[in-house]
Amino acid sequence: MARIQLENVRKAFGKVQALDGISIDVKDKEFFVLFGPAGAGKTTILNCIAGIAMPEEGLIKFDGEIKNLIDPAHRNVAMVFENYALYPQMTVYDNMASALRSKLYKTPEDEIRERIMWAAKTMKMENLLERLPSQLSNGQKQRVAMGRALVRTPNVFLMDEPLAHLDAKLRNSMRTELKEMQANLGSTCIYVTHDFMEAMALGDRIAIINEGKIVQIGTGDEIYYMPCNEFTAQLMGDPQINIFDARIGEVAGGFTATFPVNGEEITVSLPEDGRVYSTIKEKGLEHVDIGIRPQNVKYSFEAKEGYFKATVYSYESIGNKSVIVAECGDYQLRMIAPNGLSVAIDSDVYIRFELDRSIFFDSVTKEYIVRYDEQTFIDLAKSEEEK
Amino acid sequence: MAGLTLNHLYKRYDNSGKKKKIKNDFAVQDLNLVCEQGEFVALLGPSGCGKTTTLRMIAGLEDITDGEIYIGERLVNKLQPKDRNIGLAFEDYAMYPPLNVYGNVAFNLRAKGVDKDEIDKKVREIAPLMQIDDLLEKMPVKLSGGQKQRVNIARAIIREPELLLMDEPLSHLDGKARQAMRTEIKRLINKIKCTTVYVTHDQLEAMSLADKIAIINFGVLQQFGTPTEVYDDPANEFVASFIGEPPMNILETTIIKKEDTFFFTFDNSNLQIAVPKRYYSVVKDGFRCKMGVRPMDVLIGGPDSQGTPEEIATFENLGDERRIGIHVGDVLMMLITEDEKRYKRGDIIKLEVRGEKTHLFDIETGDRIREKKE
Repeated sequence: MARIQLENVRKAFGKVQALDGISIDVKDKEFFVLFGPAGAGKTTILNCIAGIAMPEEGLIKFDGEIKNLIDPAHRNVAMVFENYALYPQMTVYDNMASALRSKLYKTPEDEIRERIMWAAKTMKMENLLERLPSQLSNGQKQRVAMGRALVRTPNVFLMDEPLAHLDAKLRNSMRTELKEMQANLGSTCIYVTHDFMEAMALGDRIAIINEGKIVQIGTGDEIYYMPCNEFTAQLMGDPQINIFDARIGEVAGGFTATFPVNGEEITVSLPEDGRVYSTIKEKGLEHVDIGIRPQNVKYSFEAKEGYFKATVYSYESIGNKSVIVAECGDYQLRMIAPNGLSVAIDSDVYIRFELDRSIFFDSVTKEYIVRYDEQTFIDLAKSEEEK
Repeated sequence: MAGLTLNHLYKRYDNSGKKKKIKNDFAVQDLNLVCEQGEFVALLGPSGCGKTTTLRMIAGLEDITDGEIYIGERLVNKLQPKDRNIGLAFEDYAMYPPLNVYGNVAFNLRAKGVDKDEIDKKVREIAPLMQIDDLLEKMPVKLSGGQKQRVNIARAIIREPELLLMDEPLSHLDGKARQAMRTEIKRLINKIKCTTVYVTHDQLEAMSLADKIAIINFGVLQQFGTPTEVYDDPANEFVASFIGEPPMNILETTIIKKEDTFFFTFDNSNLQIAVPKRYYSVVKDGFRCKMGVRPMDVLIGGPDSQGTPEEIATFENLGDERRIGIHVGDVLMMLITEDEKRYKRGDIIKLEVRGEKTHLFDIETGDRIREKKE
């Protein structure tokens, strides 16, 4: 296992700058997630580490050793792809043995058997070894593809959306299993995904990638609670965080936020918080984008003190809970509600924000400014990292 | 009034090529379903369960082996698809590429020989409803997936069908677009109030869209009910595990009696859960069955909790919520919590299960075992 470093890696495909100065430092035994939308450059980063793609600039180091000019076979990395890439004519056992039997490794058969048995046990697939890939379900195929990577002792596991092909249920159970396996393995792993739950659940640290650049690197908690900009905030969380523009006003002993809802101006007072208040004062903030997650938006179907009125746009179940979407004019607000309510579309809904859970962004640059209880979340992120 | 009635519907694909006749080879078996006028019904099941076959029989694209189909009060078994007065929106958009959106939407009416002004009036009426008014001049290749799907539905409903049939219309779209389109479809159907049958394999889609869900497995209807009914009161183990994400925890259990109290016990586990009183009439000491409980009905007890101490096997922080897995025998029992505490593997928590939320299933058949009603 090894520490993997990329230093200012750049790679272009024709006119498209796929990687625009990527620097990451993945610690030995770390599970590192590359997370971002399609086309962000995540897979290209993996390919550069594997040696399948050649960067035009920048260094790729394994344990401090520069690997740019080493060919893929001699980098000793194990890759797992979205589309399994199994040999269809070989049994599961032979698929797993194929790399070890190659000229490069020439492993004795006894040792191969021993390692396959161990990997099969780890992946809970001992009963599949004699089958052909065509006799496997998609979940089983992915297990075999991972098992095949496990039998080697590579410098790093590179996994490219290994669960993306599976249906939602299987994906969730495989994710849990992968998490359990990772704890037993103690190996460096770089994992590409566009699914935020996978990123949060699996990553010791996450790098948010967009348009060939790194947007933010941090633990899941750090990125979830202190996203560096609105883009990151919107990636983390389903349903998406609500973000709306508000005007800051000053009243005796405090501040207020004013925003339009269906043509009407709503003013709410901003709860007191040392850091939020001092930031407003120091920066002389007049406008902010307020970000508030759907679970921190409260609703009522009757008029209530401290609630403002909006219109129900939709109400739908997302499994264990439901989402009410409210129409507010230029924007919509999402909020979490239980399943099974009888909510009529276009009826009135009354809304209140738990502003003491909100995040402030710059309304022009969309960058993070401050959040409520900031110190608590800095401490939380720190304790995560120490683990 | 019923919008659609399926009466003892059967479908068997012709196996005459095979030497041996397979005994139980019905693609659809004794399906009975009544959709009320204006109701949105989802046919839900894993691939190959017969849901699309059912839809195709309703549309008239597939012969019926046995049974009756009524649209409104009309028996349509013998009618040609074009005479059934249905609108179809399928997974692949199948638009006419040389025609622009207007032409595609108007096509069916033109084919029927409807008056030109009349067609124009209808297209202009439906376009804002489907939010395609600014797309009318565009060619199909220029449209995004979501736009194509809206055009597709506009084309299906412009004929004012008695029944709208949709087969996985969202499966081509990616996550975010899919979610947005789901909301749009729901609002639309709500506006036009057309009886709709919607085929999907995605339980979330069915739960969020439908007034009622028909869950089908191996050609047999498992349960027909509102989303709340199938979620809270599943008819059998299949429905219980198919609806909901993460799925219901289902564990084999032996019920034991200690003094006057019954407990669920599990092989190779210390976990004991009190059996709710309402089941006392159906269980006895040593009774074997399966116990099902949803991950949100498994709780972490506080310091004074009487719950069984258990070791955490997996901990997943998903931002909005956290999921914890605990080994009960060789099953990983999942629980969901919004608790802010960060646990780690190996931590001990006290496990509490909301007994009143447990379901019992027959170990062989998977059928619900219900308490006896007085």
